[in-house]
Amino acid sequence: MEAGGDFGWTAKLIMDNLSFNPKPSTIMHLDLNSCFATIEQQANPFLRGKPVAVAAYTTPSGCIIAPSVEAKRLGIKVGMRVKEGKLLCPELVILPPDPWKYRNVHLALRKILSDYTNDFTPKSIDEFVLNLEGYPAYQKGMFEVAKEIKARIKKEIGEWLRISVGIAPNRFLAKTGAGLHKPDGLDEINKDNFVRIYSGLALTDLCGIKIRNAVRLNSMGIYSVRDFYEAPFLKLKAVFESILGYYWYLRLRGWEIDDVVFGRRSYGNSYALPKPLTTVEELSPILSKLVAKTGRRFRRAGYKAQGVHLAIVYRDGSFWHKGVTTLKILFDSRDIYKIAFKLLIRSPYKKPVRELAVSVFNLSDDSSLQLELFDDMERKEKIVRAIDRVNEHWGDFVITPARMMGAKDVVIDRVAFGGVKELEEITLLG
Amino acid sequence: MIEKLSVPVSVGLKYDHTRRKIEIKWVLWEGKVHPIAKVGLHHTFRTGRSLYHVFSVASKSLFFRLVLDTDSLHWRLEEISDGLPS
Repeated sequence: MEAGGDFGWTAKLIMDNLSFNPKPSTIMHLDLNSCFATIEQQANPFLRGKPVAVAAYTTPSGCIIAPSVEAKRLGIKVGMRVKEGKLLCPELVILPPDPWKYRNVHLALRKILSDYTNDFTPKSIDEFVLNLEGYPAYQKGMFEVAKEIKARIKKEIGEWLRISVGIAPNRFLAKTGAGLHKPDGLDEINKDNFVRIYSGLALTDLCGIKIRNAVRLNSMGIYSVRDFYEAPFLKLKAVFESILGYYWYLRLRGWEIDDVVFGRRSYGNSYALPKPLTTVEELSPILSKLVAKTGRRFRRAGYKAQGVHLAIVYRDGSFWHKGVTTLKILFDSRDIYKIAFKLLIRSPYKKPVRELAVSVFNLSDDSSLQLELFDDMERKEKIVRAIDRVNEHWGDFVITPARMMGAKDVVIDRVAFGGVKELEEITLLG
Repeated sequence: MIEKLSVPVSVGLKYDHTRRKIEIKWVLWEGKVHPIAKVGLHHTFRTGRSLYHVFSVASKSLFFRLVLDTDSLHWRLEEISDGLPS
């Protein structure tokens, strides 16, 4: 079937009569619930059963990034400030993030899952998708495998860890299934029960349908997931005015459309400033550290870049960003810094900054370097590699640019939110 | 209440070669021996090439975060808590 473009009448007829995928469920979605907070409760038994939240900063204005199951029940949500959480629940225990604790659990989960299939994809630090089709484990039965994985996680990693599992013929419905009975569910969505399950779901229970999309669907008379499923293909095409209508038509019928792994297109680091800084002099040491960190990461993965992007979020909520592409191939953090610094001074606003983010793009893994008239590129690359080796041996930021002075304790280690890109880096480190 | 610190600490452990497992038995903290009742989590991290093992352990009343530096084989106590909010 062609993905995209206009459909002819024959294709339309096929689309209008497309039934739910009769294929047996071979996809399993696993979700470690309230990941960071649950891992903290695993580590510290005195926190179990209590409302706990991991926050970017433990100060009152720090942002809550992971409430525990118990905290969620009391109304604590991701994105709340610590002070708001404490108002709602004075006994809330606030913890700072401990990225290596979470990465170790992620790696341990990977190790268990790799015993069942080679076809598994980490979707984020706490979510995995497994395809058991064609693997011996499938013979045990999907439910048996899921129960075994749950039991092994408790035995081999920690008894407090609970995962929700969804089983379906495609990835989207497996994820939907994993969300049905959190925090310890095990549900299948298939050709025999999808109507019953769809009837119990709201549009916004579907991953990818938030308020705006729900309003769009409502405007075409689609108010429930059942309506969504029953809507003809051309109606969905009209709702989304794009290929997305086609994707939704297939997803809800259990056909696979989400088995796409996007390649890395950029590397970047950001830092939420705990105090308001305004001037270039104040911001440049932080910029230098962000560039040094980004530079180390993309060189370690074997990339070079031809573009730099700077984004600034101000305390008043406004946002400014600028990116430039370069003819020169970039690998040295000092060159990236020069470009990022020029972008910083081009910012038209001199207001207190909340967050600074820098990234490099137009990545290539080309090992050859373009020769330059004045720079000895080969020598430069050797120096940069030598500095990286010293930092890898003795720890990050042992050798740093002088301009980074004053930024020693900023830009702390973080786990990327919902992203999978850094996971390739932790396996590289492994 | 959680207290962050970084102080040398004495730790007693046993290695069982039949199970190929180590068990933290006790922590000597402020002149008192705390028998360890539970290991919550064991994880590792590196700073440069130095490998550190982190043991999150609990006695009957206190939680300890113990870090073993595998270069020096020295232990440090990095956190102590009773699980109550600050």
